[in-house]
Amino acid sequence: MPFTLLLDGEPCEIEILARQPRLLLAVNGRTYLVEPKAGDGMVRIDGETVAFARAEIGETQFLRIAGRTHVAQLARQGGAGGGGGSGVNAVKAPMPGLVIRVHKQAGEAVVRGEAVITIESMKLQMALNAPRDGVIATLLAEEGGSFDKDAVLALLVSLEGE
Amino acid sequence: MNNPAFSKVLIANRGEIACRVIRTLDAMGIASAAVHHPAEAAARHVRMAGEAVAIHGDTPVAAYLDGAQIIAAAKATGAEAIHPGYGFLSENAGFAQAVIEAGLTFIGPDHATIALMGDKISARTFAAAIGVPVAPSVLPTEDLADFTARAGKIGFPLLIKAAAGGGGKGMIIVRHADELQAAATRAASEALRYFRDGRIYAETYVDAPRHIEVQVLGDGEGGVIHLHERECSVQRRFQKIIEEAPAPDLPPSLREEICAAALRIAMAARYRNAGTVEFILGADGRFFFLEMNTRLQVEHPVTEMITGIDLVRAQIEIAAGAALPAALPAPRISGHAIECRICAEDPARDFLPESGRIGRLAFPTAPWLRFEHGLTEGQAITADFDPMLAKLVSHGPDRETAINRMIEALKQLTLLGVTTNIDYLIRVLDHPAFRAGDLHTGFVSAHGAALALPPTGRQARDHAAILAALGCREFAELVFATPEPYASMGFWRN
Repeated sequence: MPFTLLLDGEPCEIEILARQPRLLLAVNGRTYLVEPKAGDGMVRIDGETVAFARAEIGETQFLRIAGRTHVAQLARQGGAGGGGGSGVNAVKAPMPGLVIRVHKQAGEAVVRGEAVITIESMKLQMALNAPRDGVIATLLAEEGGSFDKDAVLALLVSLEGE
Repeated sequence: MNNPAFSKVLIANRGEIACRVIRTLDAMGIASAAVHHPAEAAARHVRMAGEAVAIHGDTPVAAYLDGAQIIAAAKATGAEAIHPGYGFLSENAGFAQAVIEAGLTFIGPDHATIALMGDKISARTFAAAIGVPVAPSVLPTEDLADFTARAGKIGFPLLIKAAAGGGGKGMIIVRHADELQAAATRAASEALRYFRDGRIYAETYVDAPRHIEVQVLGDGEGGVIHLHERECSVQRRFQKIIEEAPAPDLPPSLREEICAAALRIAMAARYRNAGTVEFILGADGRFFFLEMNTRLQVEHPVTEMITGIDLVRAQIEIAAGAALPAALPAPRISGHAIECRICAEDPARDFLPESGRIGRLAFPTAPWLRFEHGLTEGQAITADFDPMLAKLVSHGPDRETAINRMIEALKQLTLLGVTTNIDYLIRVLDHPAFRAGDLHTGFVSAHGAALALPPTGRQARDHAAILAALGCREFAELVFATPEPYASMGFWRN
C-alpha cells in the first residue's frame, strides 16, 4: 500500500520497495536508494548526500533543504474528501487574528460572497464571506474572540430544497 | 564617558529590539531590567536582562502599552532611565512626559518633539515652514463629505492616511474618483479604531517612488548630525522588508540635498536623541517629506554597519547629557549594508501573517553578519504580536558583495515551525532589478510573477518527499510492516 504525503500541498505517493539490504523507495513511481543515517541532519539518496533540517509542529513537518523550505503533512485516508466538503461549507480564517464583528447569526440565510464575519490581524481588517448560498448552521466566532489560522469560524448548511 | 551614563536602564519593549538594547547596555556596563507579559516569561529578552518584571494586560500587547505599569516597574527595579525601543510606547508623548515626571530619564526626544512629529499634519506644517518640500495635500478632517470634495480636487492618484497613524496602517491608494468615497469611509473607521482619532488626510500619491530616509542624532542644544541615508523601498503592505545603506545609485547632489533637508528639520526642532526623517523620492528627482520617526528604527543596524556607530550607545549617551559638537561632519561610510526582516507570513498568500512554533532555529555567523532576534526554540508564534520574528543584516565592501553574503546567509538560516518569508527574500535579492538597484515601493507587486515561488525540480521534490516520509511515525510503521527478515530500523528520528 503506498504511503501518501501532501508536500507543499501536492500529493506524493511513496512506496517501500525493499528495506534490506538497502531501503529502496519509489516516489510517484521513481525509484531511489536511501541511506537514512548518513550523519546528523543528512541522508544519502542514490549516493548523493542531502543535508536537511526538520521541525514538526502538530501534524505538520517543516523541512529545509538546499535553502528552500517545504511543508509536509500526512494525507489521511478519506480526509481529503471530508476536508473538501467542509471547506465549501466552512467560513475559515485565512490568518490568525481577532473577530471584530459577526454580521450573521446562526439560522440566518446568506448568499455567496456576503460578509459573515469581519476579522482583524496585524491591524488589517478583512471580511470573511460566505463560500456559497446557505444558512448559518453553527457560528463558532464570538466578537472579540481570537483564533488561529485555518480555524473554522462558521458552518453553512444548504438552503431547503437544494 | 568614563562612568556609566546610568546605573540601570529598563527596556519598555520585547523581542529582538529589547535584546539589541540589552547587548549595548552590557557593553557599557549598565545593568538592564526587562518587562514582560506572563505569556513571555521564558522569552530571550527576559533571560538576557539582569532582572525582569511581569506586566499585565487584557492582551499581551496591552501590557506593553501600559505606561503606568512600566514606569512602576522601572521605579521598583531602581532603573534610572527607560529605553522604549520602537513601536509600543516609543512615540507616545504622554508616556515620555510621564517618565520625566516620575523622575526618570526617557531615552528619546522631548515629549513636545514627539507630539509635534507624531501628528503628520503638524509635522508637515513644520517641515514646509522651513522650506522642506511636502506633497500637495488635503488637511485632515472628520467631515467625510468635505474631505472627499477637497481630496477630489487635488487629483489622482491620492494616498489617504490616518492623521494619527504610522507604520503604514490604514493607508489606502485611490486611483479614481469613484473609489474615493468608499476608501475615505474605510480609512476613517480604521483610523478611529487603531489610533482613537478618526481624522484622515490625503496627499498626492507619487507613483513608483523610492523611500529614502535619513538617520539623525541631536543633543537637544542645537548640535545635530546626520548619519547618511537608508533606502527602504522594498515594501509589502506598506511596510518595509528590505532596507539598505547607502541608497544605491543616488546622484551625489541629490543625496546631499536630502540629507541637508533632514538636518534642517532636526536643527529647527532642536532635536534630541536619535530620529529618522523619511522622504519619498519620485523618478523625476523630486522628493517630499513624509514624516519624522522620533525613535530608533527597526532598520538602524544598516546605518551602524556602514558608519561603525552604535546608535543605541549614542542614544544612551545623549540621554545622559552628552553634547554633539556643532557643525560636526557626517561620519565616513564604509561599504554597503542590507537588512532583511524575517517575518512569520506567507508570501504566496499576499503576505498574510502565519502562526506556529519555533521548532528549529539555526543561524549563520560571520564578521559581516548580524542576526537580531528574540527567539527561543519551542516559542509559540501567535497573532499577539507583530509578525516580524528577526532581522538578518549583512555588510560588504560593495553592494554586490553585501547582496551575495545576504543570499548565502538566508540560505543557511533555518527557522522552522512557522511559514516565513525567508525563501521569498532570497528571490527578491537575486532578482535582476534588485541587483541593478532599480527600486521603488511598488517593487514587490511589480515583480510579483517573477518573485513567485518557482516550481521545485522533480528530483528536489522527491528528495523532500523522502525526508518527509522518514520523519513520519506512520511511515516507520509501514516500513516495519514490510515483510523482510533482517530488518534493523534504527534510523528513525527520536
